[in-house]
Amino acid sequence: MKGYRKYFTRKILWFLITLVSAVILNFILPRLMPGDPIASIVSKIGGAGSNNPAATQAMYEHYQNAFGLDKPVIQQFFIYVKNLLRGDFGLSFSRYPIPVSEVIGNALPWTIGLQFPAIIVGWFLGNILGALAAYIRKGFDKVLMPAMLFLGGVPAFGMAIILLVIFGIGLQWFPFQGGYPPGMIPHMSWKFFAGIISHYHLPFWSIVLISVGGQSLGMRSMSIYELNADYVKYSRYMGIKDRKIVGYVFRNAMLPQITGLALSIGTMISGAMVAEIVFSYPGLGTTLLQGIRENDYPLISASTFIITLMVLTTVFILDIIYGLIDPRIKASQYE
Amino acid sequence: MKTKRLLALALVSVMLFAFMAACGGGDTSPEDSNPPGENTPSSNDTSAPPPSADSGDTTDIPRNEALYFNGFQWGPSVGWNAFSSNMNNPLAFEQTADGARLPMMETPYMYNFLDNKMYPLLADGGVDGYSFNADRTELTYTLKSAAKWNDGSAVTAHDAAFTWEASVNYLPDGYANWTPYIADVVAADDSTVVIKAVVENGKPVNANMMIQYLGERYILNKAWLEALIDRNGGDKDSIANDKGQDCVYSGAYGPFFMDDNKVILTRNDSYWGQDASMWGKLPAPKYIGNVLYESNAAGDSVFVVGEVDVSQNYIENSYKMWTEQGLPVSTYLADAPYHIAANMPTAYFNMNSPKVGLDDPIVRKAIAISVDYDMILANAMTNQSPSFKDVPRSLMNPSAAEQAMYNKADVAALQWVGNDIDGANAMLDAAGYAIGDSGYREKDGEKLSYKVSCPTGWSDWEAAMYVVAAAGEKIGIEMETYFTDWSVYQVTMTSASQTEFDIFMFSTQGNAPAQPYSRIRALLSSEFNNLDNNWTGNFGQYSNSEVDDILKLIPQETDAAKLREYYTKLVEIYLTEVPSFSLMYRPEKFHTVNESVWTGFTSSDDGRNVPPNNSISGYGIADLYNLTLVG
Repeated sequence: MKGYRKYFTRKILWFLITLVSAVILNFILPRLMPGDPIASIVSKIGGAGSNNPAATQAMYEHYQNAFGLDKPVIQQFFIYVKNLLRGDFGLSFSRYPIPVSEVIGNALPWTIGLQFPAIIVGWFLGNILGALAAYIRKGFDKVLMPAMLFLGGVPAFGMAIILLVIFGIGLQWFPFQGGYPPGMIPHMSWKFFAGIISHYHLPFWSIVLISVGGQSLGMRSMSIYELNADYVKYSRYMGIKDRKIVGYVFRNAMLPQITGLALSIGTMISGAMVAEIVFSYPGLGTTLLQGIRENDYPLISASTFIITLMVLTTVFILDIIYGLIDPRIKASQYE
Repeated sequence: MKTKRLLALALVSVMLFAFMAACGGGDTSPEDSNPPGENTPSSNDTSAPPPSADSGDTTDIPRNEALYFNGFQWGPSVGWNAFSSNMNNPLAFEQTADGARLPMMETPYMYNFLDNKMYPLLADGGVDGYSFNADRTELTYTLKSAAKWNDGSAVTAHDAAFTWEASVNYLPDGYANWTPYIADVVAADDSTVVIKAVVENGKPVNANMMIQYLGERYILNKAWLEALIDRNGGDKDSIANDKGQDCVYSGAYGPFFMDDNKVILTRNDSYWGQDASMWGKLPAPKYIGNVLYESNAAGDSVFVVGEVDVSQNYIENSYKMWTEQGLPVSTYLADAPYHIAANMPTAYFNMNSPKVGLDDPIVRKAIAISVDYDMILANAMTNQSPSFKDVPRSLMNPSAAEQAMYNKADVAALQWVGNDIDGANAMLDAAGYAIGDSGYREKDGEKLSYKVSCPTGWSDWEAAMYVVAAAGEKIGIEMETYFTDWSVYQVTMTSASQTEFDIFMFSTQGNAPAQPYSRIRALLSSEFNNLDNNWTGNFGQYSNSEVDDILKLIPQETDAAKLREYYTKLVEIYLTEVPSFSLMYRPEKFHTVNESVWTGFTSSDDGRNVPPNNSISGYGIADLYNLTLVG
C-alpha cells in the first residue's frame, strides 16, 4: 500500500504541475499570436470606412480600456488567475459583451452531443470490424482492409464534403447546414428533436466513418499480433477451445484501444471542428476557431483550459486505473 | 444484451441532454418576456422578446411566411439595442452610407443608390423633400403625421433631436463620425427637425454629409433612450452592453428570436407604414430571418437548394445557376455584369517603404498599366462587374451620377486599360531602370523588388494580387506575393509607419450621398497620414498639397461647373501620380435571389427603380412590398 501511496502522490503532483503550467501557457500563448483583437472589433463595428480617424481612435481606446488590455501584462495575468479561481473566464472579445462562460456553455452541449456518441459508435464498430477481419481473414479481410484504409485515410474535411455533396445536395436525404431546421424555434417537443436528428446525421456519420476506419485498422493489427502470440499457440496445443482463446486474444488486443478511447473522450471537445465548420454545426470547435481568428484571448484561454483539464483528468484517471489493475506499471515508475 | 441496451440508452440520453441543454440557451419563453415598450430595471436577462400575439404556432415557422437572408454576418448576434454598436445584429440594425437596414428601425429618408436620391420614409414630402436654408447651414424636414412607434406613440421631432443628443453624449466615440459636420439636431416643433451644420467661413463644412445623415442614422425613441440611459446610470459601457430587450421600434418588423445560430424578426401587423402616406400595405413576409453559416460555401450550398432567398455573398459564376443549372436564381441585371458596381478595390503603393522606386510615379504607373485587368475581372470577379474598357478608370465608381462629375475628355490620354507591357517597359527604360545582374530592373545598383499583399483566404483578392505580381515579373520588377491572416493584415495596413507591405489591397468607399468626395478624400488626403488605427483611407500615406487644397474647396462649393473642374483636376493628378490604382469595380451588395419561394425581387427591367440592396436596406426595402409567393 505504501507503494501505491507514493505512486498516487507522484501522479497528483505531476497533475498539479502540468495544470499550473497549462494555465500559464493558456494565458501567454494567445497573446503571442500576431494580430490585434481590438483592431478586429473596431473594423467590424464601423471603423472601416469611417470618415474620421479620431472616431476610430476613440473607439479603439474605449475597447482597450474595457478589455483591460491597457494594463501591464503581468497585471492582466493576475486578474486572469484571480477570475479563473472564481470560475470567471471574463468577457468574450469577439462576442462582446457576452461572458465567455455563456459562449462556451451554449456551444459545449452541441459538441458533446455530436462527439460522444460518434466516438463510442465509431469505436465499437471499428473494433468489431477489425477483430472480425483479423479472425475471419480471407474474403472478408480482403474487402474490409482496403475499405477501412480508404475510410481511415480520408481527411475529415474530405469525408464531410463527400457526405454533404452526395447525401445533402445530391440526393437531398438530409439537411446539411445547422444544428436544427432554420424555421424552427428551439423548444421541448418530439418534432423539434426529430429536426435535430435529421440535421445530426451527416456530421455524425462524417466522424463515425473516419473513426471506424482508424479503429478497425488498429484493432486488426493488434488482433493479428495477438493471434500469432506464443500463448495462443501454446493454448491451441493444450487443446483449449478456439472460442476461449479468441476471448483472451481480443481482450488483450483491446487494451491500447481502450487507452485510445479514453484519450478520444478527453480531447473530444476540440475534435469536431471540421465537421462543425463544414456543416455549420454549432459547437465549441467553431467557437474556438472564431476566437482564434479574432484574437479573442479570453475565449481561447478558456477553451484551451477546458481541453487541458479534460485531457489531464483523463490521463490522470487512466494512470490511476492502470496502476491499480497492472502493478507492473506502478513498479516501472520506480525502476 | 443488457449491457448493450444500457449503452444505447446512455447514448440517447447524452444526445437528448446535450441538445436540450444547447437549445435552452438561446430560447426564451414568450410568456417570460416583457411587452415591447415597457421599460424594466434590467434588459439583459433574455435574448428574445415575445412573438406577436397572433403568431399561432411560434415554434415552427412555415417556409412560405419567412424570407431568409445570408451573408450578413459571421458571428452570433448579441441583442436588440439599436443605440449600441456591440449588438452584431445586422439583420435588424446596420447604419451604412449606402442605406441603413430598415426592417426594425427607420431613418427619415431611404437612400437609393440607383439615382442618388433620398426617398421619404419617416419624413413627409417627396423625393429629396428636405430643404436647405440659403447658405446651406440648416437642413429642415418634417415627419409624417402617420409615423408611429410600435407602442402606438407618434414619432416626433423630439425623438430625432434626442437621438442626436444621446449619441453625442453616450456613444463611446462621441459620435465623432458626425460631429465634424453636424453641430446639432433640434426640434423646431413636434414634427419639424432642423439639422444644423458645423460652419466654417459662413458655409457648412460638408452639406452632403447632412444629407447622408438622413438615410444612414436611425431616429430612436426618446422615452426608450431615456430609460436606457437611466437604468445604466449614464455609464457609456453599460449602455453599450445593454441588450435592449425592451426596444421600441418604428419599423415593420420587431424582435422574435435570437440564438447563436440565427436571428428572426416578426412583422408588426399594426405597422404605421400601412398608411396611404407610406406603403399603403404590410410587407409580404411575416418573418424575416438570417441564419449563420460558417463560410461562403456553406451559405451558397443552402442558397442553391432554396433554403435562403436573398444572398449577399459573392458567388463565383453565379449566372451558371440559371444558365446551366436552370435554377430560379437571378441578379439585378439579367446579363453581365449582373450587379451594380459601387466599390473599387484598390492596390495602394506604400510611400513609407524604403524600397527603391516606389517614390517614383513612373515606376508606379508602369506597374499599374502593365496589370491585366481583364484577367482580374475574369479570375477574381467571374465577370460580375464592368471592366475598365466599359468604364474608364478615374476616381469615380461606375454610377451615372458619379461618372457625370468629371470631364472625361480632359483625362482620356491619362487613362489606361492595362496589360500594356510594352508601354510599361518603355517608360521604365526611358527613366533609367535597366535590367541588372539580378535579372530585374535596378536603380543605383538596387533591384526593384516588392511585396504584394492582401489578406490570406480572400480568394478573389488573392487572385487579383497574383495578376499584379505576374505583371511585375513581365516588366522586370520582382514581385513576391505575401498574404497574411486578416487579423494581422488589418493591423499592419492601418499602421502609420508600416514597411511590411509595399503594394497592398483594400476596398474604397462605395455609394453614398456624399460621394464621390468622401471616397476621393479617403484615397488621397494627407490628413490621414501619420495616424495609427487609420481605417479611413490613404493607407499608402500619399501626400500632395495641391490635392489637399482642392479637397478643402469641394465640400463648400455649390457651383456644378466648378465642382467638375475640381474633380477633373483630382482625377488628372491621380492618374498621373498613381499613389494607388483600382484593380476592379465591385458591387457593394451582390444581391442574388432564389425565387423558389418568393418572387417579385427588384430587377433592372421592372421599371420600379428599387436598388438591389438586399431587400431591406435603404430604398431597397421597397422589395418587401412587392414580393408574392411562387405559385
